Amino acid sequence: MTELKKVIKLRTVISTSTGMAIATSCYLAGIQVATIIVGELAWISILVAGFLCLLSAMCFSELTSLYPSAAGIKLYIQNAFNENISIIIGMFYVILGISMVGAESYLLASVLSGTFQIFNPFYDKFLWILFFIFFVGVINLRGVYITGIIQDIMTYSMVAFMIGVSIYTFATHDVNISLAAQSAKFTLENIIQAAGVGVFLFVGYEWVTPLAEETTDYRLIGKGMLWAIGLLSVTYALFIVAMFVGLTPAQLASGTPIPHIVFGTNLFGVAGTISFIVMSILASVTSFNSGLLNTSRFSYAMGRDNVLPRFFSKLHPAYATPWVSILFLGVLAIAISLATLYTGKYLFIILMAAALECFIYVVAAVCVIKLRKKYPEKKRSFKIPLGYTIPIIVIVVFTGLMIAIFTDVSRDYLGRELFKNYWVAVVMGGCFLCMILYTLIVVPIFKKKAEEKAKTRVKRRPGKG
Amino acid sequence: MATSQEILEALADYQRQCNENKRLRKMQRDWSKLIHFVAEDTGDKFTMNVVKGEIVSFEVGTNGTPDIIVTSTSENFCDMFWGDLNPSQKYLQGEIRVKASQEDVVRLDAITMIIWPEV
Repeated sequence: MTELKKVIKLRTVISTSTGMAIATSCYLAGIQVATIIVGELAWISILVAGFLCLLSAMCFSELTSLYPSAAGIKLYIQNAFNENISIIIGMFYVILGISMVGAESYLLASVLSGTFQIFNPFYDKFLWILFFIFFVGVINLRGVYITGIIQDIMTYSMVAFMIGVSIYTFATHDVNISLAAQSAKFTLENIIQAAGVGVFLFVGYEWVTPLAEETTDYRLIGKGMLWAIGLLSVTYALFIVAMFVGLTPAQLASGTPIPHIVFGTNLFGVAGTISFIVMSILASVTSFNSGLLNTSRFSYAMGRDNVLPRFFSKLHPAYATPWVSILFLGVLAIAISLATLYTGKYLFIILMAAALECFIYVVAAVCVIKLRKKYPEKKRSFKIPLGYTIPIIVIVVFTGLMIAIFTDVSRDYLGRELFKNYWVAVVMGGCFLCMILYTLIVVPIFKKKAEEKAKTRVKRRPGKG
Repeated sequence: MATSQEILEALADYQRQCNENKRLRKMQRDWSKLIHFVAEDTGDKFTMNVVKGEIVSFEVGTNGTPDIIVTSTSENFCDMFWGDLNPSQKYLQGEIRVKASQEDVVRLDAITMIIWPEV
């Protein structure tokens, strides 16, 4: 088969998958993992979460090998179930996915407002949130794409930086693992609950699947995801433990939303602060930019397919980018960010994102099983070994983790209750119900209108009018 | 199944519609791509050369190294080039497959959307 002029190599698949997962909110999620279990042993839960994500990545790999398309998620859910379910889950994924921007932009605003004071912390955060989302929105609107080589440089620099800082910390600080293992918090239940939150650290790795259309071999996507999860597991396992031991008990107890900046300052003074701010900006901009890019293209396609109002498919007259979708998602992101700013409940969104990822992994595993039964002969360039064992493990484990998240209570470092996590389930359930109602009530109206319009249109093709 | 001749006729109309549309030409002014179309049911292949938004040529067979490869049935291609089919819908159903960057997928779809907004 003829190959494309520009193709994406494995190195870029890994860097894209890794880059999408690394975000400013990951540092905070990492501290939350360390708070649930004992800090020095946080690496256990991170590696458990990584291993479980590795199993889910195998499901995505098989599905990508079946449907190597940017529309993959809709295609495989549609083929495994039906169109309505694919719309419900697809839109649920996108809406909650964009809500992660709420936590991300709030945390980046906290990083910047803590360093560059203009008015007061509240208004500074407000301004940084607006600036950050506006900046990414404009990049998307102008159709500026991060090229493979830039993505490679940014991601591998971030990973090298995090690993380097971790090694330096271990060389200069005491890490007493045997003492930590004697802690009352070091229980199997806490390891599992921390692993549930730890899933958040890997959020977004699967957003690399739309790149399947730009690779020489679809199997590269699967391989890339596995490598990325391996790389993320090692990097986070080292960095989160390093950050925990590099912070003082008072700093941990303060519940700061920017533990990595405090950690950087502890280690290297002003140079550390600046380095970590740069890393934060890089991490946030790349993950948010990719997130907005993917979700806006998804909304555009939904508009073209008469699932969303037709105006979602309007393209910018000069840049050919879906400006209505970008604007809508940008406004939604600002609204969620401001809600986060007013309530301060950024941890709530982090947990919601972790639960959403668990849900999507379960859906992917169910799709693998259903599609194998429905299309046993269909060619797959990658097939998960051991029959249904791994998809079943993914279904059981991630359903369990999701339940563990929902039944837990979020606490700060001192053990004070922040909120009961069942509220996360309530919000997600409400959102899912809205998607069901929208799909069953509103979508048929759009579809019917489009059909009626199509009937009145005279076919242009000769002999078909 | 559509014949190679039918697809060529459809392509000729598609070329005229694209090149005469000022709005589309403005939008695609910096878009230069070599596109291969592969009809998997008949085995017919076509090459289209787009330079700065203008379709400068199309021919039978695959020439050069493409920026975009579109694979579908001959009927889908014929309907798409005549503007009787929504490429996005077929893409979302997996009936049209595209090997290209996400930007190029949107730009390719934009051609139909701008010329025939009602489709």
